[in-house]
Amino acid sequence: MLKWAWKSLFSQKGSLIGSAAGIACAFILVIFFDAVWRGETEQIIAYPNNVKPDVWVMQSGVGNMHMAMSFVWDWKADKIASMPEVKNVTPILYLNNVIRAGDTEMFAFIVGLLPDAKRAGPWAMSAGRQIQNPREAIIPDVLSHITGVKIGDTLSITDKEFNVVGLSKGTFSSANSVLFVPFSDLEDILSSSGTYSYLLVDAHDNVEPKVLASKIMEEVEKINALPHDDFIANDFALARQMGVEVIVMMTVICSVLAALIVGFSAYSLVMRKRREIAIIKALGASNISIFYSVMIQTGIVTLLGFLLAVLFALLVVPGIPSLVPQLTILVSNEALMQLGIIALLVTILGAILPTYLVLRMDPATAFHV
Amino acid sequence: MMIPILKASNLSKVFGSGHTEVKAVDNVSLSIKAGELVLVMGPSGSGKTTLLSMLGSLLKPSQGNIEIEGINVTELKESDLPNIRALKIGFIFQTFNLLDALTVEENILFPSQLRPEGRVGVKNRANRLIEKLGLAHRRNAFPSTLSGGEKQRVAIARALINEPKLILADEPTGNLDSQTGQEVMMILHDIARDEGYAVIMVTHDPRVEDIADRILWLEDGQLHDRKSEKHSWVKDPVCGMHVDEWTANLVSQYKGKKYYFCSKRCHERFENNQESYVV
Repeated sequence: MLKWAWKSLFSQKGSLIGSAAGIACAFILVIFFDAVWRGETEQIIAYPNNVKPDVWVMQSGVGNMHMAMSFVWDWKADKIASMPEVKNVTPILYLNNVIRAGDTEMFAFIVGLLPDAKRAGPWAMSAGRQIQNPREAIIPDVLSHITGVKIGDTLSITDKEFNVVGLSKGTFSSANSVLFVPFSDLEDILSSSGTYSYLLVDAHDNVEPKVLASKIMEEVEKINALPHDDFIANDFALARQMGVEVIVMMTVICSVLAALIVGFSAYSLVMRKRREIAIIKALGASNISIFYSVMIQTGIVTLLGFLLAVLFALLVVPGIPSLVPQLTILVSNEALMQLGIIALLVTILGAILPTYLVLRMDPATAFHV
Repeated sequence: MMIPILKASNLSKVFGSGHTEVKAVDNVSLSIKAGELVLVMGPSGSGKTTLLSMLGSLLKPSQGNIEIEGINVTELKESDLPNIRALKIGFIFQTFNLLDALTVEENILFPSQLRPEGRVGVKNRANRLIEKLGLAHRRNAFPSTLSGGEKQRVAIARALINEPKLILADEPTGNLDSQTGQEVMMILHDIARDEGYAVIMVTHDPRVEDIADRILWLEDGQLHDRKSEKHSWVKDPVCGMHVDEWTANLVSQYKGKKYYFCSKRCHERFENNQESYVV
């Protein structure tokens, strides 16, 4: 029976390839949406993840950076800096706002840097230089590519114009890119004085970030201090929540599409082979063995589609950002394993109707075919 | 006393109900012993295929019992019938019904995969059948490349692979030319006579009447024994089958007399030992 299932499936190579390609397309959509979502989620937390202090200090009640607002008095920064466990404290100002670059308006994270705060600035540059003067800005290189705003051009944040002096790498996200401006300019935009948004605290080598965070919380009132890993976990969870419903919906739609393709393939396979199935039943094959054969055939078609999709995901998807730089894509093993489970469910769902038809098939028709 | 391989008692099959009720088979009883070749003949629509389907455990009778090798198959559960079909019955169909994706050898071996006890010795048996039925050179060929006669010989080998005692053949020569059809008839005749299979054959072909042990006539769902009718045809000196001397291709002359043959097989036998066939 297995040999028949295998050989009869591969005897119609055209329809097998067509079915597998159809399923692969649906699976590729699942992988692609997931990869874009994961890539964007990673990119949303790119700034905190790359500057990576041992401890983040912020206003009490605030636990992350994404879409948050925080104010910490400057004297609190001085108090933390004076603690023996602390190596240095780098304050930043931070604002979520719309920027205008060329004809494009987009949401961005704007980080205000003190003149000596290189530690909190861009971690990789593709062109230009660091900020040295007021009203200068460093923007993501991809943003420059999309908007056409180059070094020497201007962009506006609220009602202020900034001169682009550098292009940073790895700071673009279609949801919110990271821009760097002088601290004093952002202070002006925020109409604030004597406050910071976040403090990036680096500990001495033998100090545990968790212990330091607790000690800061004990000694400085009305602030929140979190080790970097906890801070990132909070930010990541928030970033994930923002797109998860859309991705789940897309995954369900694509999975249903894949199940329909599998179902249609298995249905047409059974309909094409109904003469042979009737013969096999007449010769003495049980319903259960025919059911297994149909399941195996459906499983092989789905497996081929799955492998094609995985191959595409591993070979082609990572190359997409070089063609579409505004896309950040991350194909994860977790996503591929999830797709494997989806493929299994799709096989079972897709085989329901054909199996029902097989069970109902009358073996006596073997005399009439 | 020999126990019949197949015994059907008061078998009826009714399709539909009320005004649309049709009695396809009406109170039919028959029995067949090992080594017997029984023809079931009758006009189109007389219920021959319905009867054969019931005898082959493919269709539940509305009434009556069928015993195959002493097992009352009408009392078995639906889920037990595939086993009966796989082990106790060999099927030969008019349209050959080979599996297109499998080779000749794989087609022949297919029913052996349905045996619960596995396939011990089956390969040797398949080899013997392939040799015996002249299919050795076509062992790895696919059905689409075979002639009608070859296809039917594969189907016969497939029917015999599990060594069932009962062979049911539905118009086995219906899609074959007369000479190939006669060859197939002779194979079935030999299977019954030499190897002791019980063969039931539904056919319209009057030329096989002489090689049958019994002829049953089915008309309006009812079965009657039928006396042989004489035809004005000449007899094949080897098998005794009627051959139309005007259309026969295989002819030999021996001691000034012409002899006509139904098949190559009979022709070869005659050529090898002419004395023994000429009285």
